[in-house]
Amino acid sequence: MSNLSTHIRVVGALLVREMATRFGSKPGGYVWALLDPAAHILMMTVIFQAIARAPALGTSFALFFATGYIAFQFYQAMSSYLNSAVRANKALLSYPNVAPIDTVVARFVLQVGTTSLVAFIVLGTIVATMRVETSLHWPAILEAVAMACVFGLGVAMVNCVLFLKYPLYEQVFNIVNRPLFLISGVFFLPDSIPAPYRDLVLINPLVHVIMGFRKGFYPEYRAIGLDMTYLYGIAFLTLFAGMLVFTLSRKTLRNE
Amino acid sequence: MIRFEQATKYARTKGIKKPIIEDASLTLNRGKSVGLLGRNGAGKSTLLRLIAGAIKLDSGRIIRRGKISWPLGFAGSFQSSMTGEQNVRFVARIYGVDTEELIAYVEDFAELGPFYKAPVGTYSSGMKARLAFGLSMGVNFDYYLVDEITAVGDSNFKKKCQAVFETKLQDSDVVMVSHSTGTIRDYCDCGVVLEKGKLTYYEDVEDAIRAHDKNMKEN
Repeated sequence: MSNLSTHIRVVGALLVREMATRFGSKPGGYVWALLDPAAHILMMTVIFQAIARAPALGTSFALFFATGYIAFQFYQAMSSYLNSAVRANKALLSYPNVAPIDTVVARFVLQVGTTSLVAFIVLGTIVATMRVETSLHWPAILEAVAMACVFGLGVAMVNCVLFLKYPLYEQVFNIVNRPLFLISGVFFLPDSIPAPYRDLVLINPLVHVIMGFRKGFYPEYRAIGLDMTYLYGIAFLTLFAGMLVFTLSRKTLRNE
Repeated sequence: MIRFEQATKYARTKGIKKPIIEDASLTLNRGKSVGLLGRNGAGKSTLLRLIAGAIKLDSGRIIRRGKISWPLGFAGSFQSSMTGEQNVRFVARIYGVDTEELIAYVEDFAELGPFYKAPVGTYSSGMKARLAFGLSMGVNFDYYLVDEITAVGDSNFKKKCQAVFETKLQDSDVVMVSHSTGTIRDYCDCGVVLEKGKLTYYEDVEDAIRAHDKNMKEN
């Protein structure tokens, strides 16, 4: 039962199921997955253009916020969607063919695809319509995206288990997770923060994700403090912890 | 064939540890349908889930030869936000059977009418049972694990179930949990009684029913 072809079939079926129930019930369907982040970036651009003279980097407010927001979304949208992967598919786990990990894999694939599509459309439009020509550095972009996804996946796998076991932890996690958007460097550059506080800000791996991502769009950006080794370490350590907790808690996940 | 080898499983909830089966060894051969008897809360449904492989033993093992269905309960294994049709589609995909064929078969069998395309959450328990039964009958298994499901539905539906089931039983076997000894008698050749973590096999289903009745009288 646990052979690879069954897993692939099940993940495929779950993908279709997720698409149908996540987007199928609203008019417009999948378009909302794209429209929502685009509208967010537009609003932030308008607001900040009104209160500040120039973005911290380059000349385009839109590109500055979009790079920060989208890099952050690769983690945030991933973990918040995957946190409930097992719980949302509980009924389907009574089919012996369906393993808890399949629900996580299906949502992971769908979310990577969705955020990537958002990134292509939003950033593509901004870059194409800018007056100054931008040269992209793809390795930096892909590296940052990959680490954001790995980290998000790890966090979500831990959460899938702990949310079920300790409902109180879910509350605490949400409280801690919420201000992450403000301190991860979507709006500011960590480079410009004075010394003792900068080290604190740099503990957050998402700061490195966003710095790395922006390096791919701004060749002149020096990204002082960016430490990819640290980011790789944290991301894979989290994923390892996620896999470990997930494997050890098979019974909880199956709801025995 | 389904064989239990020193199979042990405890149910644990909120600090209470209760044996479902303890060190049970038993072989169920192909060609015989089995009725599973036991008092309320003895763990009959858990035993079916163990046979299906949806949950794991604490120790020992279960050897399975042949394709075994998921446990067919009247609560159903349905995702309530998905429509009946989407649920059927899902099962067709995970078991690798022809999707359109199964959808048509279940639509015809379950007689849900327009509700087939409505979320399962809006169904009555009878409708769910019809969907569940039709769905499992549409997929070919060597063993069908049936948990009380034939008790649901009106007499027309029961007749229909019986007819389909009887044709199925020519090539397939059933492992059935039911509190109705009549149902067990109708479908099963042999019986297993689950009592205090022990599995006892009876070649003749009548003996199993007698043993079960005796257990019930004791307390």
